[in-house]
Order: sequence, then structure tokens, then C-alpha cells
Amino acid sequence: MNTNHIVENLKREIENFRSQIKAEKVGRVLEIFDGIAKVSGLSDIKSSEMVTFPNGEMGVVLNLEEDVVGVIIFGDFSKIREGDEVKATGRILEVPVSDNILGRVVNAIGVPIDGQGAIKTDKSYPIEKVAPGVVTRLSVSEPVATGIKVIDAIIPVGRGQRELIIGDRQTGKTALAIDAILNQKGQNMICVYVSISQKDSKLRKIEARLEEGGAMDYTVIVSAGASEAAALSYVAPYTGVAIAEYFMDQGKDVLIIYDDLSKHAVAYREISLLLRRPPGREAYPGDVFYLHSRLLERACRRNEKYGGGSITAFPIIETQAGDITAYIPTNVISITDGQIFLETDLFYKGIRPAVNVGSSVSRVGSSAQIKAMKKVAGTLKLDLAQFRELEAFSQFGSDLDDATKRQLERGKRAVEVLKQLQYAPVRMEHQVVTLYALTKGFMDDVAVEKIKEFEQGLTDYSERQAKVFYKEIVEKKMWSEKGEEELKKVIEDFKKSFIK
Amino acid sequence: MTTISNNNIARAIHSATKGKNDAEQSLIFTKVIQFLFRRRLLSKAPDILLHLNKVINDEEGRITAKISSKSKLDEKIKKELAHALTKRYSVKEVVLSEVLDEKLLGGFKVEINDEVIDLTIKNKIGKLQEYLISSA
Repeated sequence: MNTNHIVENLKREIENFRSQIKAEKVGRVLEIFDGIAKVSGLSDIKSSEMVTFPNGEMGVVLNLEEDVVGVIIFGDFSKIREGDEVKATGRILEVPVSDNILGRVVNAIGVPIDGQGAIKTDKSYPIEKVAPGVVTRLSVSEPVATGIKVIDAIIPVGRGQRELIIGDRQTGKTALAIDAILNQKGQNMICVYVSISQKDSKLRKIEARLEEGGAMDYTVIVSAGASEAAALSYVAPYTGVAIAEYFMDQGKDVLIIYDDLSKHAVAYREISLLLRRPPGREAYPGDVFYLHSRLLERACRRNEKYGGGSITAFPIIETQAGDITAYIPTNVISITDGQIFLETDLFYKGIRPAVNVGSSVSRVGSSAQIKAMKKVAGTLKLDLAQFRELEAFSQFGSDLDDATKRQLERGKRAVEVLKQLQYAPVRMEHQVVTLYALTKGFMDDVAVEKIKEFEQGLTDYSERQAKVFYKEIVEKKMWSEKGEEELKKVIEDFKKSFIK
Repeated sequence: MTTISNNNIARAIHSATKGKNDAEQSLIFTKVIQFLFRRRLLSKAPDILLHLNKVINDEEGRITAKISSKSKLDEKIKKELAHALTKRYSVKEVVLSEVLDEKLLGGFKVEINDEVIDLTIKNKIGKLQEYLISSA
């Protein structure tokens, strides 16, 4: 390309340029501190409207007062000075969306941060939106297969559900969520992972892990780093759900993970206190409940008439020393449709995932469980609860009747079966076979230490031998008598060779 | 927490002094100063005056427009401008205050309250730059 050509091109572009004359609303920065600007002027501005600063930084209006507006700044505020001109854009805060966003890492305002160039977008979605109304919704009835045995069996999650993952630091909350994403391959699900004030090293690790598992093809990561402004942490979950809504509007099912909402609440508390909103309990502002409820209410399952699609939300909350009665945990527990409670004690006992089955519930998920799973897992929760009670009781005396002993042994095996390695999701059919063998007592005479080995062997063997059973589970979601007979025989055969 | 804004004070002064004779007005002014002193608001006086000015202008259907340009505008243009602005804001009178700014390169910029109509070359070049970058 020679110089003349470039000049010609440039000339043509300049000829095409039309500038519109319009009156703009401007204000002046009165005060600037800690990522907050107080701006005078800007009459007629709306709440949540975007404004621009002279150096290109963006902000959003949060407080509307008589003569001033309070603006939170996204990005570097150190170059903004008192007296700078602030322009209103007339647009409510929005995020660019398109199908090309899949596999990318974007920041809280939708700008790519993975160094793979710009994302071509044609649409923008407002990040704050009223949740879908009652008439557009459908109750939860389709399962989300997380690939984690204890969840799929005891605390099942359905599409459109909001299931809280709660626990202390280092109990495997993120690991659980990442496993769930990894297992969505081929399940017709788009995943959005929202990282809020997390360490960049952790984000990098997660991205690499998802990449390795081939999960980035259907995943978007929205990240607001720990070193970035609190304003970005505050909007990140809303950006994530706006992206999710874009896919839901195409009739797709979306899984969104907010990691984690305690840090989100802290970021919002920081902003609120700087904006001089009155503090309430634990210094959180009065609308911290609404902050989370309006976010999680946007998770839903829409009926066919309104385009179908669903958003399933997995919010994560980090507790301090197992205290689930603190302000934010109780709020989010009451908003969600159940919680998966992870415990440090269980984690260090080697029970991983460290799910406390007694305190974990899924309020709507059981209607989304496939029939076969419901059948095998029906008694499991009760068995485990009885086991915990007996376990404590049996430590005092050695004289136990046979029934109690049997129950204890069964419980030990159940705990063993529900243990699972990280990044090793288990297919639904395999889960059904394993739990069938457990609840029907086929594992009672296998040594506890050998359970894992037995399980592995059984799933491999049965997949080859019990073809009818597997086919029925995949196609009809339930076995017939013929299938059951086949499976029973296969398990007996396998056990003979295993124990020998 | 209720605070009295400068705007409120300006409005109060205006409605208190409206239609009063000189003697009454000077009494009111003394009281206003005493009030501001008591409430430690004397440092806010310039801002209050600014608001007062605006309140009076609003009532009399007058607006002030700040015109920034590179060189002095000629009278004819100013007259036309004033006429156009009177129509746009449907007021009786437009008071123009001129500011010279070399950096604008050409054209002019009108600022009324918090509204800006930017017709400078500087702004146009900026927009052209944005356009060329985004169309690339």
C-alpha cells in the first residue's frame, strides 16, 4: 500500500465524517476522592447514567442531590482534577454483548482483558434491569448436572434455580463451582464466571484450568480484580448477569457463578460510606439486601411463550469461622433456593467435597432430578443423617446390636462413595450405578478402604456389560425391570471377580 | 440530617427582599449577614450570591451565556446569536459574556447553565479523531 493510497483512503473517510451539533449537558468536578467524584451541574441526569471525564475515564451516577451528583469512577481517578468538565452521555450503564464474547475474559464494563484484541459487538445490554415477571416464568424442572455426586444426589440443582455455595475460606467453594462448569460440556449450557475482588493469580489459574478442560468454548469470565476500583467490583455481577441475559434471550440455558458476593457487599459498603450514605448493621448500607435480591432475582426459567431459556445462579459466600448467622450470609441464604454448606472440619477429615449434608438443602431442585436418581438417592440423605447420629452415639459404647452396626457400616461406605477428586466430574449414568450398588447393599461386604477402587471398577465394567441399563438411563431417565435385572447381574459378576 | 443548601438561602433572601423599599432591604441584609455568621456560612457567601443572581435572572426571564472563542466575534454574529438563544430557551433577554481562548483554534462555544453547545474547531477535530479510530 503506497502513501497516495493511504491519503486517498483517509480523504474518503474524512469526507464521510458528519459531526452532529447538539447541546451537551456538562458539569464540573467539585471534589474528588477515593474513586468518588462530586459533580455540580448535570441537571436532568438520570440515576445510573454514564458520564465521561476529560481523560476518557468513565463514571456512573449513583447519588442525586440538590446541586451535586455523586459519581463513582471506573478506573484511574488520579488524573481527574477539581474543575474538570464532566459530560453526560444520556445512556444508562450498559455492556456490549455478542456471541463472540464466549471464551473471553472481560472486565466489569465489558472491555476484554485477555490480550486477544477487541470483541466485535453489535448490541448493548443495560446492566440494571428489572427481573422477569411472574407470568413469564416457569417452575424449575430440568436438572443441572454438576457432575458432583453429593450435589446431584442429595442437593440437586435445577435450571433456573439459585443455589448458594457457602463456607469458610479454603473449603473448596470455587473448586465446586469450577467443577460444575467443567461438567457442562455437551450439556447445552453457557457458563458465566464472575470473579469479584479475587486475586489475579487465582483468576489466571481458573482460566487455565477451564481452557485445559475445553470449557472456555462455552464460558465467559467477567473479572473485577482486587487491585481495581471498588466501583468495578460493585458492577461486575450485574455485568455478568446482563451477558447471561443476552444468551437467555436466545433461548439458551445459562449457568452463572458469582465468586463471591461477600466481597461484592464489601465493595458496595465502601462506595456507600464514601458517598456518605448512612451505615446500618455491620456498617453495610440499608439497601444491601436489595443489592443482592435484585441481582439473584434475575436468575429464572422463562416459559416458551417468552422465548424460553434460563439462568441458573451459583452465588458464593465466604463465612468467617463458620458463622452463617452474620448479616450477608443470612441475607443471601434467605434470597436463594437453598444452600450447599461446606465445612472446614469435614475438609480436613478428608471428606472432599466437604459438603455438610445435614445443613445443605435444595428447596426446589428435587423436582428437577431425573427419576432414576430420585429412586437411588431417596433414602441416602436419611441414611447419612442417621449415620451421623449413630456415629456420635457409638463412640460411647462398644455393645451395639446388629442393625445399628449395619447402619454404621452402610454410612461409612456412603461417605466414602460421596468423596470425589477435584476436576473429576462423574456422569449421571455412573452416579446412578454407583448409588444403586450402595443403597441396595451391594457394597456392604466391600472393605471401606476399597470402596473407591470398587466404584471405579464397577463403572468401567458396567458400562461395557450393562448396555440396556445405560441406554434406558440416557434415553428414558429411568430403568425398566429388564434393565435392573441386567444391572444386578453385572454388579454380582463384578463383585465376585473383585473380592476374589 | 437536613442541611440548608446555598440555593435555599438564596431563594429565601430573594423572597424576603422582593418588593421591599431600601430601608427595609438594608435591615434584611443585616439580618442575613448575622444569620450567616451565626451558622458559620459566611465562607459560602460567593456561592450564595451566584445562586441569588440565578434566581433573579430566572424570574426576570434573563439568562447569561458564556461565549468562548479564539478571537473576538463581530457585533452582527453576536446579535444573531443572542436572538437565536432567546428563541431556543424562550427567555426575554440573553446576556453574553465573552471569553477569549487561543486553544479553541476557531469557531465558538456557548455555555448556558450546564448546557454546552460546542462549535469549535478543537471539538470537531477531537470528534474526527474518534471517528477515524472507531471506523478503522
